[in-house]
Amino acid sequence: MATGTDQVVGLGLVAVSLVIFTYYTAWVILLPFIDSQHVIHKYFLPRAYAVAIPLAAGLLLLLFVGVFITYVMLKNQKVTKKAQ
Amino acid sequence: MTKLAQWLWGLALLGSTWAALTTGALGLELPSSCREVLWPLPAYLLVSAGCYALGTVGYRVATFHDCEDAARELQSQIQEARADLTRRGMRF
Repeated sequence: MATGTDQVVGLGLVAVSLVIFTYYTAWVILLPFIDSQHVIHKYFLPRAYAVAIPLAAGLLLLLFVGVFITYVMLKNQKVTKKAQ
Repeated sequence: MTKLAQWLWGLALLGSTWAALTTGALGLELPSSCREVLWPLPAYLLVSAGCYALGTVGYRVATFHDCEDAARELQSQIQEARADLTRRGMRF
């Protein structure tokens, strides 16, 4: 078995993914079947955000990956230029 | 048919079914709660796939079988090799 920080990080990831999954499932799948006067609707944003937030997060992720790749490529270029 | 072609086929089929149902092009009168569930469905599937991936990675990290003794032995062997090679004149 993994030890120390590995276990903590791993189980933390599992917990985060479970939380996100249950909240999102409740938001998208369960809420439309619950009476609109029920108090639980107070804990969820308007439905449009259920698509907007993952979309924005996905675009941010792509942006971050692109910036990282650009940075690494530029650093590589500079190193080769110095070595020449 | 290649795997890519299969996947694209499947995606195109499911995508067109979803589009037909959400835009009401088939003329079906679905109850409003069903329509409410239907239209975010692609986003929902993507998010659940992401959650599954994250959870699997985390679980495998947490249950990975470490071999502490082998790791320590390997590290000492690396130190030995480095010392030996530096003695013979190789620069790191």
